[in-house]
Amino acid sequence: MNEFQGCPGSRTQDFRATATEEEATTGKVKSQLTQWPIQMHLISPTAPYYQGADVLLTADCVGYALGGFHPEYLKGKAIGIACPKLDEGQEEYVEKIKSWLDDARINTLTVLIMQVPCCRGLLALAQEAAQKAGRKVPIKAIVVGLQGEILAEEWV
Amino acid sequence: MTQQLELPMQEYLNKNIKEIIGEFPPVADVLNGYDIGCVTCGLGTCLFKDIVGIHDLDPGEEAALLAGIARVIYPDRAVAIPKIERKSKPKSGEVSYSPPMKKLVDEHRLIKRWVAVIPRFIEGLDVTTEAGRRLIRQGIDFIQSYADKFHHAKEEAILFKCFDEDLDIIRTMCADHENARGRVREMLAALARQDRETIAGNLEAYRELLTEHVKKEDEILYRWMDRNLSMKQVGELFAKFHEKDIEFGDTPQKYQEFITRLENKFNTEEKRK
Repeated sequence: MNEFQGCPGSRTQDFRATATEEEATTGKVKSQLTQWPIQMHLISPTAPYYQGADVLLTADCVGYALGGFHPEYLKGKAIGIACPKLDEGQEEYVEKIKSWLDDARINTLTVLIMQVPCCRGLLALAQEAAQKAGRKVPIKAIVVGLQGEILAEEWV
Repeated sequence: MTQQLELPMQEYLNKNIKEIIGEFPPVADVLNGYDIGCVTCGLGTCLFKDIVGIHDLDPGEEAALLAGIARVIYPDRAVAIPKIERKSKPKSGEVSYSPPMKKLVDEHRLIKRWVAVIPRFIEGLDVTTEAGRRLIRQGIDFIQSYADKFHHAKEEAILFKCFDEDLDIIRTMCADHENARGRVREMLAALARQDRETIAGNLEAYRELLTEHVKKEDEILYRWMDRNLSMKQVGELFAKFHEKDIEFGDTPQKYQEFITRLENKFNTEEKRK
């Protein structure tokens, strides 16, 4: 399966056999996305849909790995997405997350990251912003496995 | 065949646990084996099926518990064990409290420190001098103001509103709060007539009540609630608890200092002995 060793974030892995084991849900799954834009460089942290909201800060890959992302995690929440490994200008992300807490007065923040080590960087950004913010809110980190399993849920 | 045997066990699942223990006393030993302390509970009106769900046993433990109880109820025959539906999510790994629940658990720490000094507080009860009566009033004030108005009020006015307040476990907690309020009323009346024995008796009863009450909340109730609260509710609770903290200002700090003073006083006296 492993074609080469090295960074677990970019190591080639093949899940074709297990991914098709279970029958996929048939019928259209309704999108729970209630805003645009969603990329952290493009969003305005004080947009109306962030005011008092439960917000998801999601690593880009999560939306593809997590089968029930829309109904189980995105439903009822506002969102911002980012890649802590490839995105540039991440200091701007810290300021925007801080603004969610202080200006948009969000209710909670859920940070959804992949299990690969580089994804921890997104949680670190959220924690840095929370430390800088004057207002505190509950923050939960959820770690998603490469095949969409929930590996850990913790309050940070 | 299975259908016929399953029905009676199902009926027991819908009975309250004290009734079952009354009818089959060895059931208490089976429950104790899983650290389910219904025997010492003051109310004991929780339904058997709710107890299984609230204690969040893993499926293997749940099956073993139900089988153990079935053996007590039906010693002469095998019965099919009904599956109990749970509203809450199954436990996943290490339990950590959500931020609002952690706040309540942290408040319990100060209450537990007070409960720990009560035996020495009782030994030193002095109703004959103004200084002695002042110390007793301060102890009662801790119960009334910190444990009740600050902490229990967060539960009754905020936390419990997120759930069905008719649930037996919540009614049990509220009954404990009322019991504690009754103890305070009796102590205040006893203090007015300088009745040392009544104050000592009520303080000891309060100590026993709160020891069990805090344990039930920390180990069972809060964890069960955390598993059932939505993220939105967690955020709202956190904000409302924060408002309550602001309303009380530096009062909690004042009571921290009071308990520390008591601990130092009794530790110093202990060393002198």
